[in-house]
Amino acid sequence: MTPRERYRETINFRQPDEIPWIDHFETEGIVRWIKEGLPIDRIIAIGSEVSCGGALLGSGLSMSGFDLSSYFGSIPMVGHFLPIDIGPIPRFKEGTVREDEKYVDTITEIGSITRRRRGSLTYSMPMFVDHPVKDRESWEEYKRRLNPLDPRRYPKDWHKDSYLRYCEEYQKGPIQVAVTGLYGFGMQLMGIERFNVAFYRDPELVEDMANYWEFFTVEALRDAVTTLRDGIDQVFWWEDMASRHGPNISPRLYKRYLLNHYKRVTGFLRKNKIDRIMMDSDGNMNPLLDLISESGITGLWPLEVNAGMDAIAIRKNYGDKFYLGGNLDKARIARGGEEMRDEIDSKISILREMGGYCAGVDHVVPSDVSLEKFMEYADYLRKKRGFEGKSFPSGSHF
Amino acid sequence: MNVLDELADSIGQLGSSNRVIELTKEAIAEGLPATDIVEKGIRKGLDYVGQQFEHNTYFLAELLYGAELTNEALEVLRPQMEGSNTKPRARIVLGTVKGDMHDIGKNIFKSLAMASGFKVKDLGVDVEADTFVENVAREEPEILAMSALLTTTVPEMKVVVDSLRKAGLRDRVKIILGGNAVSREFGRSVEADAVALTAVEGVEICKKWTGKSD
Repeated sequence: MTPRERYRETINFRQPDEIPWIDHFETEGIVRWIKEGLPIDRIIAIGSEVSCGGALLGSGLSMSGFDLSSYFGSIPMVGHFLPIDIGPIPRFKEGTVREDEKYVDTITEIGSITRRRRGSLTYSMPMFVDHPVKDRESWEEYKRRLNPLDPRRYPKDWHKDSYLRYCEEYQKGPIQVAVTGLYGFGMQLMGIERFNVAFYRDPELVEDMANYWEFFTVEALRDAVTTLRDGIDQVFWWEDMASRHGPNISPRLYKRYLLNHYKRVTGFLRKNKIDRIMMDSDGNMNPLLDLISESGITGLWPLEVNAGMDAIAIRKNYGDKFYLGGNLDKARIARGGEEMRDEIDSKISILREMGGYCAGVDHVVPSDVSLEKFMEYADYLRKKRGFEGKSFPSGSHF
Repeated sequence: MNVLDELADSIGQLGSSNRVIELTKEAIAEGLPATDIVEKGIRKGLDYVGQQFEHNTYFLAELLYGAELTNEALEVLRPQMEGSNTKPRARIVLGTVKGDMHDIGKNIFKSLAMASGFKVKDLGVDVEADTFVENVAREEPEILAMSALLTTTVPEMKVVVDSLRKAGLRDRVKIILGGNAVSREFGRSVEADAVALTAVEGVEICKKWTGKSD
């Protein structure tokens, strides 16, 4: 099977040849591994573009990043994202807004202000010190940048037939569209504290944001979704709405402000034969799982062990309502050896039999995992992912 | 229901900000002592919010709003409190460790701790071990609270604990650790006095240490 076929079989509870492995890597970790001996010449990814971003009429090839999935044999979790621009148009112009001898504050393209230690690695996570939306007035102002019908949301080469062909032929991983969930949307625009408090201080603002988010999401994606339909394998629904203790908002707030909007967006996707919708949220999502399922979300990742997420328990409680990814405890993987093997042994064989599971650590592989420990884990996981003479269960277990 | 019960209820049930301010002013107008307004009204309400959070009835949004209501009520009461002999429960020096720029958990802990009567000196984020040591020496707090979100910055907590030990200050202060990447196991390994998995739990531990748990 191709990686894409394997992934599709799995998330649809059919019969893959082995469990897909979907680990995802952070830049800090990649840099560490290069220092520890990862051969850089074998992980450089090359992209082609009209030279200098279109400034010169020439075909150029240049480094577009690192491709560790090909090197290790995992499936790139991002696969191919349809390049539909769901950010603010026009962008905010990136630049320094203030600095002192210790810190540099920078405005991002979405209008947030981030702070970094002077001289720190530019790819490490910054501190957010300000956000563009603070109240009704700034929201109305921001909305002007969120016209879903702006033609710039689709790429210059958005020719439907050629995209249909490309998506049919692409086999390295899933074809996806990205959705920023309403909570993620509000949090990005207002900041965690202000957005959470807005549910109580300014519910009309949250309601208006919810209505607009629904309109924006459906209309921005409409062309791609209605063109490609089930040529899209998965919707990647970014949310990040929980911490270790639990969700940031209560089931009551979810039901009141999110649920109906989510149902309508997932209903639009479903009408177009897209029903594999994976929510990316860290933290303990357990108290919301009933509502998340009711909202039409059908997949969960990364299932952080540290936050109490348990893929086997979710599978037992929810059957095939959710396909699952991650849930291998990154802390135990980092420690390696017997602990790493126990983590894999205690989960993989059970989840393999239950189906609908993609293996990986319970979030991005963190930079405190050494290359040696990661290779050890990758080798062991490779041996355990196959079905080795076992007959794969036909149909659902549940 | 008297005004203090109403105030506690209004905070605990996450009523409107206007109503909380109005009730605080009403309590002042009735001539009630500032300490009573704080203990029997405002903190009682906040404690209820904390309990609901621990029981998974309230979540982050409710906790943040409850803390804001509390701080608004305390702000109204500030002139009365300054006129009385209200002493802080204890002093806390607080900060996110070096290399870590995350402050949300730290800020929630700070709000709750201040609303619970602690005097908090917030050193901010990305705080060097030496800065923690200097502040413990200078401020003589009863408690040092450190936060780290990232697994890569958690080891810095050990650097701080070791630096305090080296400076002969370790036994003068209780150390509590918090943040997403911190585990109780780690806390034991660096000989911290406690690890809090949530801001609410952290404040409860601090209350117990100061012998004034509600």
